[in-house]
Amino acid sequence: MSIANQPLLKLENITKRFKKLTAVNGVNMEVAHGEKLVIIGPSGSGKSTLLRSINLLEEIDEGTIHFEGNEVGYVLRNGKRHLDHPQAISALRAEIGMVFQHFHLFPHMTVLGNVMEGPLTVQRKSVEEARSIATDMLIKVGLSDKRDVFPATLSGGQKQRVAIARALAMRPKLMLFDEPTSALDPELVGEVFDTIHTLADEGMTMIIVTHHMGFARELADRVIFMESGNFLAEGAPEEVFSKAHDNERIRGFLNRLL
Amino acid sequence: MKYLAGRAFVALLFLWTLTGSCLGAVDYDQLFRQSSDLMAQGDLDGALELLRQVPTPAAGEEAGAFVSSRMQAARILASQDETTRALAVCQEVLKLFPDNSEARNFVAALKDQLKPGWHTVLSDTLRFLPSLAKGAVMTLLLVLSTMLVSPLGGLLIALGRISTLRPVSWLCWFIIWFFRGTPLLLQLFFIYYGLPSLGITLAPFTAAVIGLGLNYSAYLGEIIRGAIQSIDHGQMEAAKAIGMSYGQAMRRVIIPQTYKRLMPPIGNEFIALIKDTALVSTIAMVELMRAADQLFNTYFNITALMLAAVIYLVLTTIFTFIFEKIEYRAGIYEHR
Repeated sequence: MSIANQPLLKLENITKRFKKLTAVNGVNMEVAHGEKLVIIGPSGSGKSTLLRSINLLEEIDEGTIHFEGNEVGYVLRNGKRHLDHPQAISALRAEIGMVFQHFHLFPHMTVLGNVMEGPLTVQRKSVEEARSIATDMLIKVGLSDKRDVFPATLSGGQKQRVAIARALAMRPKLMLFDEPTSALDPELVGEVFDTIHTLADEGMTMIIVTHHMGFARELADRVIFMESGNFLAEGAPEEVFSKAHDNERIRGFLNRLL
Repeated sequence: MKYLAGRAFVALLFLWTLTGSCLGAVDYDQLFRQSSDLMAQGDLDGALELLRQVPTPAAGEEAGAFVSSRMQAARILASQDETTRALAVCQEVLKLFPDNSEARNFVAALKDQLKPGWHTVLSDTLRFLPSLAKGAVMTLLLVLSTMLVSPLGGLLIALGRISTLRPVSWLCWFIIWFFRGTPLLLQLFFIYYGLPSLGITLAPFTAAVIGLGLNYSAYLGEIIRGAIQSIDHGQMEAAKAIGMSYGQAMRRVIIPQTYKRLMPPIGNEFIALIKDTALVSTIAMVELMRAADQLFNTYFNITALMLAAVIYLVLTTIFTFIFEKIEYRAGIYEHR
């Protein structure tokens, strides 16, 4: 099987438990190269946990993760599953960009410093090279004029765009967006969506967890509706968002939001 | 009544000594004793009069009694605030014996008394300042050495405490528990006086820096741990998400953000450190406190202690300003 045909990401039987609560309940999922996958569902349904499991910010209890055809993240030792060694995990994360609901910019670094940090520290690129990559990324998200200010002076929308630039600077093969607009004032949502749209148009593979149905419908190649750790529905946006969806729970959820 | 009796006694004595001198042999010892008795009774004039009777010796004659009598008289006069008269008596001695050190020292002391008060303080200050300055330099060296060592020790202890390796975490907990839980003075004694019995002999300065360094590392360890854990967990996740290792995330992202939060409590500790160095005076180190103590014990002069207090205040003030500056610089990214 050629690389082009196999999925970029393949999750099998992913299960994550927090004490008694099963946050993700044995789900399976494939993401093709260039695919835009949107995960929706009520809060507490396990969307974020699933997303965070992909880049190993959450350690799963069961299941396997294949990235570019290779099993990643966990190794068997004496018949028991363990997290892979830290270098391997860092190497995987370096190829998967992540954008958080609350941005988590590094407040002590300038905007440019934030975006340079990955290439500089993780990829050990020279300062000049890192600066040139970071400058390109800031131009892409439309914030090159803010390169020398600290994050504290930025609006929420600007912060999120810097966070996207920071992730992109690592040249990731997959981007994970964990409710990227949920912490933003409504008037600032648009600029972040526009930035994500630009990325999508460039062919970036991405998984987006969001509560904005309009955005999901317009961007997604495929939508997954998740509830209580399970996939309730999966399919093309027009399918899942159809008002006459046969699942009552999905219908109820969508009616409340749309 | 008592006074009159004293006078009569003096008159009798006077007659008796006259006869004595006529006989050519004066018992000076008895004279001194009697003048002391008069002094004890409060009759200073009488005592002076008696002392005056010791004649000025001719060249070559034995002069011990003369010098003693005049110096005793000078002391009596000085105690009565008759500084000028006391000086005159001393000059009598110096005229005959210009090298007499007792008289010279007394003249110097009397002249000091004639100057206004601030002048005395000034001359004391000038006299004490060199040795106090030497002590202050040693204090400063101790402070700077500990300031260099203890943040590094504190950082190691803090990282050890939050380590997931249990033995490391326990060891660091133990270090903090021990060094915070026992007096610094005891730790210094143990290192300087105790370790030699185990075959480890340390120079006072080394022992002092090790003692202060360990003690302050333990305190700073807890402060640094608190600061690290107060940084939003999202920062560590964001660092990891771009592929950083734990060490890189700590070094590049987490620890730099603690600096601003660390400065107020660490400033506090370091101000306390400046004063805690005084404890080091107990292990044979002449720092500021010891220097002041030595001057105080030699001259019984309170100016030495007051000067030391002023120097400590100057040191703490300078460091307070430096810490405030650093705190401002460390948090500059938070200013909008």
